[in-house]
Amino acid sequence: MEVLNKKWSMEKLMSLRKEILATWPTGSDVEDIDAGIEYQKSLPKSKNFAAKLLHAKENGITLVQPRAGVALVNEHIGLLQFLQNEGQADLLPSTIDSYTRQNRYQEAEKGIQESISSGRSLLNGFPAVNHGLENCRRVVESVNVPVQVRHGTPDARLLAEITLAAGFTDYEGGGISYNIPYAKNVSLEKTIYYWQYVDRLIGYYHENGVVINREPFGPLTGTLVPPCISHTVAIVEAILAAEQGVHNLTLGYGQCGNLVQDVAAIQTLQELSEEYLLKNGYENRHVTTVFHQWMGGFPQDEAKAFGVISWGAATAALAKATKVIVKTPHEAMGIPTKEANAQGLRTTKQLVNMLKDQTLPLTNELAEEKEMIKKETRAILDTILKVGDGDWARGIIRAFEAGIIDVPFAPSRYNAGRILPARDNNGAIRMLDTGDLPFDKEIIDFHKKKIAERGEAEEREPSFQMVIDDIYAIGKGMLVGRPN
Amino acid sequence: MGNKTIVTGVIGADVHAVGNRILDYAFSQAGFDVVNIGVLASQEEFIQAAIETGAKAILVSSLYGHGEMDCRGLREKCEESGIGEIILYAGGNLVVGKQEWEPVKEKFLEMGFNRVYPPGTLPEEAITHLKADLNIE
Repeated sequence: MEVLNKKWSMEKLMSLRKEILATWPTGSDVEDIDAGIEYQKSLPKSKNFAAKLLHAKENGITLVQPRAGVALVNEHIGLLQFLQNEGQADLLPSTIDSYTRQNRYQEAEKGIQESISSGRSLLNGFPAVNHGLENCRRVVESVNVPVQVRHGTPDARLLAEITLAAGFTDYEGGGISYNIPYAKNVSLEKTIYYWQYVDRLIGYYHENGVVINREPFGPLTGTLVPPCISHTVAIVEAILAAEQGVHNLTLGYGQCGNLVQDVAAIQTLQELSEEYLLKNGYENRHVTTVFHQWMGGFPQDEAKAFGVISWGAATAALAKATKVIVKTPHEAMGIPTKEANAQGLRTTKQLVNMLKDQTLPLTNELAEEKEMIKKETRAILDTILKVGDGDWARGIIRAFEAGIIDVPFAPSRYNAGRILPARDNNGAIRMLDTGDLPFDKEIIDFHKKKIAERGEAEEREPSFQMVIDDIYAIGKGMLVGRPN
Repeated sequence: MGNKTIVTGVIGADVHAVGNRILDYAFSQAGFDVVNIGVLASQEEFIQAAIETGAKAILVSSLYGHGEMDCRGLREKCEESGIGEIILYAGGNLVVGKQEWEPVKEKFLEMGFNRVYPPGTLPEEAITHLKADLNIE
């Protein structure tokens, strides 16, 4: 099966739909595709994700959004209402449990039953497919702000059908960003194809007057991901989605911890994505950005965790990201209580409000960082299109095979795993080994120089140990993993 | 394979790959022969890998909170497969949410795990324990 970046016909979508809806009993509730569109139109504009994001972008506001999801419907509604009222969340999620993400609805059902009998959630998220259309609509109707589906699902077709018909107005993920960090054995051909279905479905909603926002998952593995890597994936997914008729996109990036690099990353993500969408013929697209607070290991101490959260909040505000996804003081322990989740939100809200009128001035350092990210990202993107003989879908598949794009620490066997990231002496993420990324000598020398500076400062040879030290560093109270 | 063969992996529908890589590296550096079955590993895959390689221990990681459901019955399955005496460790964010550690630990010990580790444990600690449990050095 060769997958190309070509808009699907409605016939192709409709002929597949039957099969997808039959994969779990709740699928039959959404057979009438236009009923979902009618329901979406009945919702107030205040519940539309895309509209709220564009308003925020125009007004220089950074919106705050948590992650949240539990096994049972009433408890999930209670959680979202709490985060809206006590956490002052501008945008809400429904984070989907990990069994549903792997299409293991039978196991999700068991988790629901055990959660009922034990009186606590045994699932790490909300099993939307099992709960079905009416229950999902109850979730959307129970809150006053837009709700997004957040997950990590390689094949999210049924989940999309149910949640979009239920009034969710934003859908996270993509054929690359929900494969490489979230699967071990699923080919990119398959996931890009699965996500073309989702994007075409959203394109159909758009053609019928319902704007659904799409958000490729920016942070990927969340572990020392250089900006050029996540930018490349985000931009390719934006192009793939745009081809299927998606008009509103939020592109994401996970905090690295060095302020200049993080601000440069958000700014270049906005600039490069607009450039590449236009260059590829996708006009009238609206790009917003999302900044993810630190995605790696957190300190156990809640006071220290608030420090990490605050730094992410400050960076998001100074970078003028359209929204920020918030961590909680329980991060080191796993899923937070609703109280801890609301604390993370309020901490973040305080920071973004305080910094709303400030921005990071364009210093030489910021200009240089932006220039370097653009050079690196363009080198990878342009090579992808070349090896794809002009087709982005074919190109990204071949590029992963060849290591032209390479995500550090990804579980997928379809990822080369040859690059090795580490922090430089200022805490910015560089590459100790650039693997087979299509970089010229200037870029490679830049990374070598930056890593060598740190090696000299620490009087050690850069090695995998340095990478491990960096991974543990924030949990231990530092940004750069220095030797003791 | 010898006395130092161990199986590592991340159980269930969990895709957290970073700690898994670090454990692989750290145990290998410490002289163990690591058979790493990676993420999204079922109980059957752990057991099969242990049987095929004659491993002396199975180290189960779980970061996403479903560990309680995923790990249940592993000891019994080991017994049924003829490796009932194998050493079983579990570690990570084993349950959903911030819970008191002692009851969680008790729960996993009752399930038949020899040792259980809370979030934030460094590899060195488990390496020291495993060397003691296997009478190495």
